[in-house]
Amino acid sequence: MNAIMSRWIDDSRLMGIVFLAPATLYIVLLVGLPFVTALLFSVSTATVGDASFNYVGLRNFANVWQTPAFRDALVNTFSFTVIAQICTIILANILAQLLTTPLPQRRSGRIGMWIARMLLILPWATPLSLSVVGWLWMFDSKYSPIDYIFRELALLGPGTVWGPANNLIWLGKPLLAKASIIFVHVWRMTPLATVILMAGLSSIPTDLLDQAEVDGSRYFRTLFQVKLPLIMPIMLISLLFGFIFTFGDLTVVYILTRGGPITHTLTLPMYSFLVGIDGGNLAQGAAVSLFIFPVLLLVAVVLLRTASRAEVR
Amino acid sequence: MNRPGILLLVMCLLVVAPLALAQDDVNITILQWSHFVPTHDQWFDAWAEEWGAANNVGVRVDHVDIEQIPQTLSASISAGDGHSIFEMIVPAFAFVQGLHPLNDINAAAVEAHGAPAETCPDGSYLAIADMYFGFAHGYLPGPGHYVKSLWEAAGYPDGPATWQDLLEGGRAIYESSGIPVGMGISPEPDSQAGILAAVWSFGGSIQDENENVVFNSPETIAAVDYYAQLYREAMTSEVLAWSPASDNQALIAGEASYILNPISAYRALQHIDPEAAADIGLAPALAGPAGPIASTHGWLTYIIPTYVQGDELEAAKQFILDHTANYRDAVLNSALYNFPCYPSTVPDLQTLLENDPFGSVPADKLTVLSRAGEWSVFPGYPGPSNPAVLQFFSENWLANVVASVALGERTAEDAVAEAHARAEVIFEEWRALGLVGGGG
Repeated sequence: MNAIMSRWIDDSRLMGIVFLAPATLYIVLLVGLPFVTALLFSVSTATVGDASFNYVGLRNFANVWQTPAFRDALVNTFSFTVIAQICTIILANILAQLLTTPLPQRRSGRIGMWIARMLLILPWATPLSLSVVGWLWMFDSKYSPIDYIFRELALLGPGTVWGPANNLIWLGKPLLAKASIIFVHVWRMTPLATVILMAGLSSIPTDLLDQAEVDGSRYFRTLFQVKLPLIMPIMLISLLFGFIFTFGDLTVVYILTRGGPITHTLTLPMYSFLVGIDGGNLAQGAAVSLFIFPVLLLVAVVLLRTASRAEVR
Repeated sequence: MNRPGILLLVMCLLVVAPLALAQDDVNITILQWSHFVPTHDQWFDAWAEEWGAANNVGVRVDHVDIEQIPQTLSASISAGDGHSIFEMIVPAFAFVQGLHPLNDINAAAVEAHGAPAETCPDGSYLAIADMYFGFAHGYLPGPGHYVKSLWEAAGYPDGPATWQDLLEGGRAIYESSGIPVGMGISPEPDSQAGILAAVWSFGGSIQDENENVVFNSPETIAAVDYYAQLYREAMTSEVLAWSPASDNQALIAGEASYILNPISAYRALQHIDPEAAADIGLAPALAGPAGPIASTHGWLTYIIPTYVQGDELEAAKQFILDHTANYRDAVLNSALYNFPCYPSTVPDLQTLLENDPFGSVPADKLTVLSRAGEWSVFPGYPGPSNPAVLQFFSENWLANVVASVALGERTAEDAVAEAHARAEVIFEEWRALGLVGGGG
């Protein structure tokens, strides 16, 4: 018995299969099956009341493509994701730099740094729906605390720069509504990106940084020519996470604007939900959501290849 | 007891126990939306438990947020398992292929209680299949709520009676007091209902009597232009970001001179500020060139998915019928928010409206609702109900059309033509499934 066990354990091929099996099963059941189901739905006439398969070819994709709301959703999804990721990666770099500076010697300083790091992670640790409801109140058209601060600073209200209205009405004006959505995405993704970058920064060998210092490199030269190139692979992984989470997000738009005003904040996941679940046309909803897939696949491949090359160099 | 005796006893238990267990094994589960009037749910839960005890049926009631019911129903139908009865507020036309026909209990209710209110079958009857896929027990009329003192000062002591009154009076009030009209133009059902009311009152509609798309018409364009003007002259951009609760909140906060809503907004204000509630008047649908027409704000409809079978199905149907027979309690415990689809179940409804037992000042404030059935119609009007109209409604085309014109991004002609084109696609798809008529 022991001999058999020992042989199995020594069989690296068998052990590889055993260890990979749970992850494979997880991916097949929770990612693969829903994806295949969505594919089948998108070329069928499935409704929320009857998911039986009647093949209609690419008709759903063609119908969706002709809809102006879909094209608005496509543009919004791209622009929100790209802008949010640019902002996130800049902010995360700044925060990661600050939070990886050597800890202060005094105890109070160390506690302060610990609290700062804990606070940083809070937006990521809070359930998304709860935190977005919080932002819904922050952007309230009448009682927004942000508007209150602007009024106190004499920036809003009669006779002020942004007056005479007492409220900016964040979610009721196209530009502000877009900015609000992007802001919440940045707020949500920055902690994760920061933590990933902090891990990257702390893995840089100190002798490299010492060498740079001995060679007379100042802060920004060290940052841009030593640190950032070294953490580039991990930064691209962080970017990949952010891109996937933002591109496929429904919660933020659903709670804040439901795609309005008009279709100014409509995104592909939101439109897919409106058509597929609220409207009952499961097939067309699936077709809308499948437009997300090739984009995410392409981004994942490009970023992972770039990260891999950067690592080799 | 000797060994053969013990064996005999065990054998008897093995035979009898499953039979005994099977006898009281009928269970039904009900998924209800959390009612806006909490006392209704307290009453309903207790009543359901009593009904279960009296009929030897296990009953479990779950309450969820109103917006989660379609998603839960969709998942249940896909899984072939879930609650026995779902209470819908938006008609479940899209789910019709996964639902039991309930023609039998609709006929039984007519036999027991007489003809239903005219608007009720609209939310549960699919004309092309001659099928009741649901049982409507109540509906929610949406009267206009106006602030009496403001409208009196503007020269409209009984509030606005026409869309033109709303524009002129609302503009005058906004200019003099800064308080805007509160008609949403955002992607949510109340906004859609308000805009559709204007479209109908101007003579337009989404479809005709034969289920053909007729949205692109001079009447619809006139209604859209009107609404855009109302936005520019008597409202703020706040209404472009409203949720279903926003008009209630605006009225309660004293930030709206007029809203279109079921009486939940008024009832909430009664609790918060009785004096302000006394200053609220209720008005029937606003009249336009085609008369006063408004959308019913909800159909309280029970549906039973096809995975419910056997005794569970029969118990569910009986529950629905018995609930309707006790509808007076439902109406009273909802503070007259639920309106009965079978008026004979609440024989003193008129008396209750004329002398509101929930403290209206004046006591006959709700009398206007007694004729709600005359001006409340379904989004498919003047045609029959169907899933295509509901999808068009759910995709928020009405609000998007008005908002794009109000913000100057499109002309009414272009916006309406674009929405019409989308409606044609939606109708064609449902028509191909045999769930929508017309198109000939």
